[in-house]
Amino acid sequence: MSVDVTLHGVAKSFGSLPVVQPIDLDVAPGTFVSLVGPSGCGKSTLLRLVAGLEQVSAGTVTIGGASPAELRAHKRLAVVPQQPGLLPWRTVAENARLLLEVNRRHSPTRHPDPAELLDEVGLTEFLDAYPHELSGGMRQRVALVRGFSLGAPLVLMDEPFAALDEITRAEMRELLARMLDRHPATVLFVTHSMAEAAYLSDRVLVMSPRPTAVVADVAIGFPRPRRDALEDTPEFAAVCAELRHHLHGAMR
Amino acid sequence: MIRRAGTSPPPWRPVRWFAPAIGIVTFLALWEGFVRWRDIRPFVLTAPTDIVRYLGRAPGDFAEASLLTARHALVGFVVALVASIGLGALLSTSRFLERAVQPVLVLVQVAPFVAYISSIVLWLGYGDPPVHFVTAFVCVPAFTFATVAGMRSADPSSRELLASVDTPRWEVMWRLRLPSAMPSLFTTARYNTGLALIAAYLVEGSNFADAGLGAIGKRFAANNIGDGLWATVFCMVVLGTVALGLIGLFERWLLHWHASQRSLA
Repeated sequence: MSVDVTLHGVAKSFGSLPVVQPIDLDVAPGTFVSLVGPSGCGKSTLLRLVAGLEQVSAGTVTIGGASPAELRAHKRLAVVPQQPGLLPWRTVAENARLLLEVNRRHSPTRHPDPAELLDEVGLTEFLDAYPHELSGGMRQRVALVRGFSLGAPLVLMDEPFAALDEITRAEMRELLARMLDRHPATVLFVTHSMAEAAYLSDRVLVMSPRPTAVVADVAIGFPRPRRDALEDTPEFAAVCAELRHHLHGAMR
Repeated sequence: MIRRAGTSPPPWRPVRWFAPAIGIVTFLALWEGFVRWRDIRPFVLTAPTDIVRYLGRAPGDFAEASLLTARHALVGFVVALVASIGLGALLSTSRFLERAVQPVLVLVQVAPFVAYISSIVLWLGYGDPPVHFVTAFVCVPAFTFATVAGMRSADPSSRELLASVDTPRWEVMWRLRLPSAMPSLFTTARYNTGLALIAAYLVEGSNFADAGLGAIGKRFAANNIGDGLWATVFCMVVLGTVALGLIGLFERWLLHWHASQRSLA
């Protein structure tokens, strides 16, 4: 279950300061698109514009023919933030259910069972644990489950693994790939990591420093399902090198 | 199964009980010794043994007065807490409202309530109403500030997350902002416990009623009965200690998830 996303001349400025230059973008349903770029280049702002959590200064965002506001109102859009944002007074199971419990009137009638999702990410034994009892990786897994619990056709992820160590990040990217095999969705994914982008994406957009513009649009053709071994292939290294090359070009 | 911080009993260490007990006994002994050595008049300072002896002469009366004072303080405290959470929730939604109301709350907080107690008694009459009113009134500012600060401290990630599914305002308040305010409310509750008890004691002494620790304390003072006066002080200390103990229990129960409640061991 996934939707197409269309950005038409989407731009953002804070006062007279342009942050995002007009961007046109078509994302086909079920595509995993990564946004990579230097720190502070406005990738996160672009994500917030797509979610409608930030108002566009110009242009329109259309998601499956609807506006971001309509998607939010019907809980058809999932956000996985950089900080897991778990509520410390709720257990793992309660945090996983949070988005289903709030604004309950508009909850989707069909959605994955959070308990089963927690099982998929290996947290069954921690259902009654509180966030402070978990490692950083486990917390982010709860945040992933919480995002997927809505069964939303569009998932927006803002550097969800940025705060994790390298080993945990590698685990998480494989876990995310597996979850998407089972629960397909269109994904916009912000990251700093070329390897993360290459491993997960169908398409990588390389962004320039502020004001943000897309400087390269790279298709990643590795067959799915992708697994760990992919990262050791020369083809993978070549894709990462190409992305890095575009990024350096953007920063000059 | 994971061991849950907060629900598991802390390891029993003698020093937890022993050290405070030694401290208090030493303090009382020095006090007693000082009063005996300098032969101080009871009205200025009564020795602990004399206080206990005086309490023993009418334990029922002191218990009854203590319960009444506790009830007065509790009613004011709870009314203030509920009103402040409502007021704080309102103020946390608007910087303008907060800026407009904050100076008024500061005025209430710094005004010496001892000075206007008689005016309140004239206004509200004798008996319970002025006691309840002043007790609640003086507790409102600190509780309101704690509510506003706590609600504003709600995690931005969590706020954005709730916004992404169009969570209605009241639900954000109930599920995110109010729990976020709990730690600061508990801190303030400790401070306000002392304030509420003192306010209850002082208004009882000024409202021409004949019950409550404040009322009998005032009578002892008027009749120059030093050990009686100090016996009411003793009862106030007991009330305050019990109240703080209860707040500590509530805190361990409601805030088991908060960093402040985790043992370092």
